[in-house]
This record gives sequence, structure tokens and C-alpha cells, in this order.
Amino acid sequence: MSENPYQTYDARILEVKDLTSREKLFTLRFLDPEVEAKFDFRPGQFVIVDIRGFGEFPISICSSPTRRGYLQLCIRKVGRMTKFVHKMKEGDVVGIRGPYGNGFPMEKMEGSNLILVAGGLGMAPLRSVLWYAIDTGKYENVWLLYGTKAYEDILFRDEIIHLLKHGEAMNCSVKLAYEVESPSCIYLEQGFSDRVCRGVVTDLFRGEEFDVNRAYALICGPPVMYKFVIKELLDRKLSPGRIYMTLERRMRCGVGKCGHCVVGTSVSMKYICQDGPVFTYWDALSTRGLI
Amino acid sequence: MRYIKLPSENFGKFFKSLEAWGSVYAPVKRGGIYSFQEVHDPAEIALDYNRTMLPPKKFFFRPKEAILRLKNGHWEENLEAEPTVLFGLHSCDIHGLKILDRVYLDEPADPYYKSRREKTLIIGISCMPDEYCFCKSLGTHFAMDGFDLFLHELPDGWLVRIGSVRGHEIVWENGELFEEVTDEDLANFKEFEEKRAKAFQKEVPQEGLADMLDLAYNSPVWKKYAEICLACGNCNLVCPTCRCYEVCDRWMDAYSSVRERRYDSCFMENHGLVAGNYNFRPTRLDRFRHRYYCKSYFDPSSGYNCVGCGRCDEFCPAKIEHVKVLEEVRGSLK
Repeated sequence: MSENPYQTYDARILEVKDLTSREKLFTLRFLDPEVEAKFDFRPGQFVIVDIRGFGEFPISICSSPTRRGYLQLCIRKVGRMTKFVHKMKEGDVVGIRGPYGNGFPMEKMEGSNLILVAGGLGMAPLRSVLWYAIDTGKYENVWLLYGTKAYEDILFRDEIIHLLKHGEAMNCSVKLAYEVESPSCIYLEQGFSDRVCRGVVTDLFRGEEFDVNRAYALICGPPVMYKFVIKELLDRKLSPGRIYMTLERRMRCGVGKCGHCVVGTSVSMKYICQDGPVFTYWDALSTRGLI
Repeated sequence: MRYIKLPSENFGKFFKSLEAWGSVYAPVKRGGIYSFQEVHDPAEIALDYNRTMLPPKKFFFRPKEAILRLKNGHWEENLEAEPTVLFGLHSCDIHGLKILDRVYLDEPADPYYKSRREKTLIIGISCMPDEYCFCKSLGTHFAMDGFDLFLHELPDGWLVRIGSVRGHEIVWENGELFEEVTDEDLANFKEFEEKRAKAFQKEVPQEGLADMLDLAYNSPVWKKYAEICLACGNCNLVCPTCRCYEVCDRWMDAYSSVRERRYDSCFMENHGLVAGNYNFRPTRLDRFRHRYYCKSYFDPSSGYNCVGCGRCDEFCPAKIEHVKVLEEVRGSLK
């Protein structure tokens, strides 16, 4: 394998699946068996996708390291590059380098309850945590609080509905909040009246009492979401050190060189790509501009 | 450290001997501006230059370069590095390179930067400050490492400090050009350094600087200067420690493409832009403040991200003075 950190490795698209009108799920596998064997990651890490001749972009891994042999990326069509990717088909080859970033401290959290709070596309990296927790069975209970715009925007809808129905057997409790009403949502709400509601993700905290000494919260969502979710958690006396959030910035190089993801001030500067993208609320308190 | 003397009359021969190590670049004056250029005749060198416009970072981290070339669907590296001698670096620029080293040689090392760094000989030279210099207050006015040889001006030659094995080798191979240092040379060296220390006109008071600036996050001074600032990014380009880069792919023809990187500036609007048009530093104020925080960031192992070379002041079309901004921001804390 190359020592050049900017070199990418060929990965074949095994499957392309429409998740919503904007997001597709790409299942990839490295062509080189050596690379495939060496590639390991933690939930919360990201890779850089290389579309040769067009450029690169960072994307979080949404599959779990417990399921080996493939890598899944949930890609929203939002710009020039992702528009191009959305046209790609099974069998096409892209370049991948990574994994980058610190990821969630899964081992440290073993034996605890996990509260996953996802907003919109934030579901993608947390899906990795969700399946890791379910597959390893090393966590007491897993709550997933997921806020989306509309029924059509629910990422991994089949999996979410499956967990709504059968999650308890896996110690997993899913709660869903949607903003735009539709017949499908009303149907869901009727079926799971205690777990599906119209509103935003913070509404899902209502009535939930978490054992704050045995729980960790893992948050991912749009920038505006963090402040409100963190307030809910702090109100329930969850320690800032038990609140993990994964953040987005312009991660161009992924290896702490290009400077685009730098945040902070004269006393505390962080590279989101290397020091993060997962940070605790303590980090947010000591680094301006983090959230 | 080993100290040795290069008498004035041997300077030319010494300089010519450097060509055995690689292409020699030294400060040259062209059109009123100094820059590092390839030099064959020592007479071309501007030994008493104040500062070059582009710092020596351009030799290691290029303004624009192809890092990968796409051939037959695969990226090929472009790791060319020529043996180079950089002659006449000032102490601040040597410190600037050390700060870049911390970023580019840190794991995973940038292979382009690393290969050039390994093939380059650094020869420092003493200088006298002008009205823009404030390196002394940042502790970067004297290089204690980061060079192979460092030449200090004496009335009749140069006091040479040898800073590396390669430096020893050069002196060893040209032994006949050097003399042992005398007491008189030492007295002259001391006198020069004392005279130099007194010549600085600007300083950044370091006490609690990083914390004071952090506390003054909402100071109106940031806004005042952000409004004067043209957001041209000149200060980033000429800064010896600015190292942000942007990458893009460029098609050469239907079958080949290059992945190029070039200097980027945190003053550009798209510096903090992510997918979906969300910008983490949307206003000029955000971007202006960010640069100052980045330069004033204090790393316990290597100090500030600023070496006080004065380039950002000299080449700022809006005449914004770095030290003055810091003083005013600090002063705005009631």
C-alpha cells in the first residue's frame, strides 16, 4: 500500500439503493484484497470519496464495522460532486481513502445505555453506532431519537420501521418525530402512538427519564440542532463528558493539513478531521466555534 | 553547537562550493522587491535584504502543484524533489519552516513537503530589523535549530554556527576556507546581537496574549478592522506559516487528469463552505477574526503560529498592522 496519504484505493459499487429522493445508499467493496483486509473503522469515522478527474469529498461511514466485507455510504445529492455520484451504477469504481477522524469511543461506553439523537442526514453516522450496538450486544439499552422533515425523508425507513416493531427484542427503542404531516405519518403515529409524534427531535425527550449515570448521548444533525438537544440532556443532568456529538466541516484533506476544518481561537484550535469529528460537550465549552 | 569563522575574502568560494549540493537559491532584489531566486554569482545576492515577498515555504509547499496524475484510471504520484540549497534565510523564516514542519511532517507526513525538506540545505543569515519586524517579542529572532549553517555578520567575515551533520560536512569538505573563532570575533558577534536587539521598533506583549484575545471574542475592534480589510488574502499568501490549501482536479485531455493543490486563504468566502451552501464562517468578520486567532494560537511545543516577519503588514493594501490589531483587541477588554 502506498505511503502517500492522498492516494486512494479502488472500490467497486456493489449496490445502489434509493433511500429518499435526495439520498442514495452506496455499498462498496475494495478491489484489492489486501486493502479490504486492512480496512477497519470505528463508528463515527469518515472516508474521502475520490471521483477521479472530478475531485474528492468527505462522507461519514453509515455501515457498522461488525458487518465486514463492505462499506456503506449514504450520499445526499447536494452539489456538483454528489450529483455525479448519484448517476453512478453498480459495478462502477470510485476511489476511497480513510478512515479518518476519531469516531465514537464505543469500547468506553460498553455496558451503558446509549441515547442516539439524529436529525435529518445525521442519521447516517449514527446508523453505524446503532448496528454496532445491536450486533455486539455490549450495551444495555439503545434509544434512537430521530427527527425528520417528512415521512419521505426518513433515512433507512425499512430499518427504522423494523426497529419500531421489533426493536425491543434487541434492547433498542426507536422514537420518531416528523414535521410535515402526511397519511403515512398518521398511520405510523396510530401504530406507535407512544413513539411517533409530530414535532422536532427535542419533543421526543418528553416523558423520557434516562439513568444519567449509566447513559451516553451521541448526537448528529444540522448545526442548529445541537444547542437544543444539548439543553435537553443537560436539563436531565447528563454530564457534559457523556455527551458526544459528531460535527461537520469542510474536510478537504482529512489528515490535518489543508486547514479548512480548523475551529477555535488562540487558546484552543482543533482540526475537526483529526481531533474530531466526534467531540464531547466539554470540548464545545472550551473551543469556540465548535457548535 | 560548533562555531567557526568564514573570512570575507573566502565568501565567494564558499558560496560557489554550495553548488555541489544542489541548485542554490538566495535573496535577490528585483523591481524593488526581494525574492528567493536561483543564483550563480554571489554578487547577485542581496545580503542585507529585509524580507522576501514570498517566504521560503514556496520551496516546500508550492503555490500550485500537481500532486497526483491520473493515468489509465490510476493516480500516479509526482514526487520529484531536486537537491536545493536555500541560502540566506532569516531567523524568523527558519522558525516559520519549523511551524510548517509541525503540520506537514506530522503523521501522516505530506510526502511532497517531506521529500523536498529532506533534500534542502538551509543556510541562515543574520539581519537587522526594519519598521515591520516584531520577531523579537515572539522569541523567533534567533534560530537555535532548524538550519544546517547560520552565518552571523562580523566586520571582516562571518561567524558560522553549524546546526546539523550536513552543515559539518560542508565545513569539513571546505576546511581551507574557514578559521577558528577568535576572542575578537566573539566580541563582535556579541556587539552585533546587542545592537540588533535594540533596533526593534515593534513588539507584541506576550503576557496572557492568547487568553486575552480569546476573552475579547466579541470586541468591536474585530469589526472595525474587518470593515477596513479588503479580504484579498495577501496576508495569507505571504505568511511563512499560513498553509491552507485547496485541491481540484483538472482534465489534461480525455484520458488524463491532474489533481492540483494551490494556496488557499481563510479570507475567501468558500473557505468554510460545506455541501448545501452552509458556511461556517459566513461573514468577513468571522474570517478576519479567524486568521488572527489562527496566527495567535499558542502551541505549547512550538509557540505561536506567527513569527513576526512583518510580511502581512508590508504587503497589506489596506495598511492593517498585525501588532496594532492585537494591541487594540487586547486593549478593548475593560
